[in-house]
Amino acid sequence: MAPRPARAAAAGVSLPLLLWLVWALLAGGCGERPVAGAPITLVFKHAKILGPADPVPGLLRRFEADHPGVRVQSEALTWSSDEQHQFYVINLEGGSPPFDVMMLDVIWVPEFARAGWILDLTPSVAPAERDAHFPSAIEPAMQDGRLWALPWFMNVGLLYYRADLLAKYGFRPPETYDELIEQVRRIRAGERDPTLDGYLWQGKQYEGGMVNVLEALWANGARLLDDAGRPFPEAERAREALAFLRGLIESGVSPPWVTAGDEELTRRPFGDGRAIFLRGWPYALDLFELPDSRVRGKVGVAPIPRLRHGPVGAASTGGAHLAVSARTRHAALAVELARFLTSETAQRAMTEGAALRPSRPALYRDAGLIARDPSLPALHGLMLRGHPRPITPYYLMLSTTLQPEFSAVLVGRKSPERAMQDAGAQVQHLLRSVTP
Amino acid sequence: MSDRRLAWLLLSPALLVLGTLTVYPALWVLWLALQYRIPVFGISRWAGLEHFAFLAVDTRFWNAAWVTGVFTVASVALEGALGLAIAVALRGQRGGRRTALALLLLAWALPSVVTAKMFEWLYHPAGGLVNFLLGGRAINWLGDPAFALPSLILADVWRATPFVALLCYARLLTIPPDLYEAAEVDGAAGLQAFTRITWPLVRPILLVTLLFRTLDAIRAFDIMFVLTGGGPAGSTESLTVYAYRALFQTLQIGFGSAIGVVVFALVMLVAVLYLRVIGRQEAAA
Repeated sequence: MAPRPARAAAAGVSLPLLLWLVWALLAGGCGERPVAGAPITLVFKHAKILGPADPVPGLLRRFEADHPGVRVQSEALTWSSDEQHQFYVINLEGGSPPFDVMMLDVIWVPEFARAGWILDLTPSVAPAERDAHFPSAIEPAMQDGRLWALPWFMNVGLLYYRADLLAKYGFRPPETYDELIEQVRRIRAGERDPTLDGYLWQGKQYEGGMVNVLEALWANGARLLDDAGRPFPEAERAREALAFLRGLIESGVSPPWVTAGDEELTRRPFGDGRAIFLRGWPYALDLFELPDSRVRGKVGVAPIPRLRHGPVGAASTGGAHLAVSARTRHAALAVELARFLTSETAQRAMTEGAALRPSRPALYRDAGLIARDPSLPALHGLMLRGHPRPITPYYLMLSTTLQPEFSAVLVGRKSPERAMQDAGAQVQHLLRSVTP
Repeated sequence: MSDRRLAWLLLSPALLVLGTLTVYPALWVLWLALQYRIPVFGISRWAGLEHFAFLAVDTRFWNAAWVTGVFTVASVALEGALGLAIAVALRGQRGGRRTALALLLLAWALPSVVTAKMFEWLYHPAGGLVNFLLGGRAINWLGDPAFALPSLILADVWRATPFVALLCYARLLTIPPDLYEAAEVDGAAGLQAFTRITWPLVRPILLVTLLFRTLDAIRAFDIMFVLTGGGPAGSTESLTVYAYRALFQTLQIGFGSAIGVVVFALVMLVAVLYLRVIGRQEAAA
């Protein structure tokens, strides 16, 4: 019996060994071994940037010009956020990732930091450089008091309204949801158009749905977790917020299909002039103002309204950060690249060339940029009021665990009380797994 | 003694394969299920039965168990009834049997992911054939919690009925026609011939077929995953989808394995029950 475990162990070892051999052969054959004089290649992994002109290639050539002997290769990520995350997890957990600088969704930074996949940028980034970004963009990049990523561009939730319709009925943009509901009722009664919807938002079971629920909680002064990680510290307010979202559908202020609506599914009907209000991200503004848009010149932006107990404009922030792989072979250069791409110069180019908003407040006061994008001053106020989503390495676990419960409330399968109870039990089990 | 040895020798390749491919992973999953394991965060510690204790009170788990149960019972019952009916009809058919068989096989031969994708288009609220055939209604088959699970069951029935039909048909072909002729002479025809001759002879093979289908249905994953992803609001989240979410989306290897163990136990239990019924039947025959 004695030799058996040894043999089993040998069998267990042989597969990694084999893989290592294959890797060694491949790496020996075509790997980029630093040869004296040969250029260093940095790989920058990021999602494709949409907009009138992709500014990234130009910025990379500029970085190359400033750093002779360095080549930056830009590689595109897949579209969906879930797939991007999966790609990173597989490559980073698997060993040597084939990239140096990577774009991260803001909600992943603490997770990647805790997993040890990204470099601590604290020593390379001076406090002044850090403070040049919105606090709500820096906070989610912090973990254990260290800085792990730099903000690249930023998003904030906002309320789009049909300025022409509101003006026609003598309304100002609503500050409370009660006003919004009243305006929807009056405008729809006056327009007598059965195809005109009231308020569109994202209720699908995905991260965007989670954002909408969080905003409803904040709008009523409720949090998802308290500082100790206990769910729904303000239980009654949270219940009201969830009941309010379901009520929007039951009362017909929002069409039933918002429970399956994501950003684009809700942006399109509003862009076709078939809704009065829309909760969205800033990128939609550029699309509404395109020459062939049906709502061109008729759209206004306002802070997210409030419920009874919360503040106006308690919107979720979002956006992308740049981090450096912990396994990069050119750490100093990779950090340089991340700092350059998030610099004021680069963010200005991003704002000009792509439909993205910077994470640096100074650029919102830049006369040249405002001339191109008149919405910047308004967005500045919205960005300042924005909240990051809960900052924890376990955010994604938390969010995917909670999404089905919230979705069940929105479609009317569960009462808010019931969903909160079930969600609370699951969150507690999750936290028991991750806290020793 | 040497016979016994030979027997073991001849069995050893099969045992070895079963051991490495089935027993070893099963034991490993059981071992993982007793731990908190989240490799991404370097978490690995003993949990004992805590995952199972949580599952016992986890409403999401019981919802998933309910979805799995409804899906399994409904789809297997429909597949059994329809499959048998098709087999009997095929046997009575004079021309075109080959064509009918080929068409049946087509549905069964498609990978279930492809079937699921096809049904995704059939069920599309705006451009789907199903709504078109219903007179241009706009029923959101996969998006409405009331319709989603029945829609999945229908897709599974479409795919798996041919399997039941073909096996039953094969059995029907082996029933000697003189049995029916003799019955007819004795005045038993139509329904009586079915209940007295066809049913008792086809029942054993039908049971084995349904055993296969039941085990497949309990473990079904691709249809839910492709068509609804478990939504809307968890109304189609089966145990396998829940296990997938825990294992691959939130990377809770320990907890996900615990769900896997439950599915495994369920499959074993159902298999044992079926085998008992089949065994009793054989004893009675």
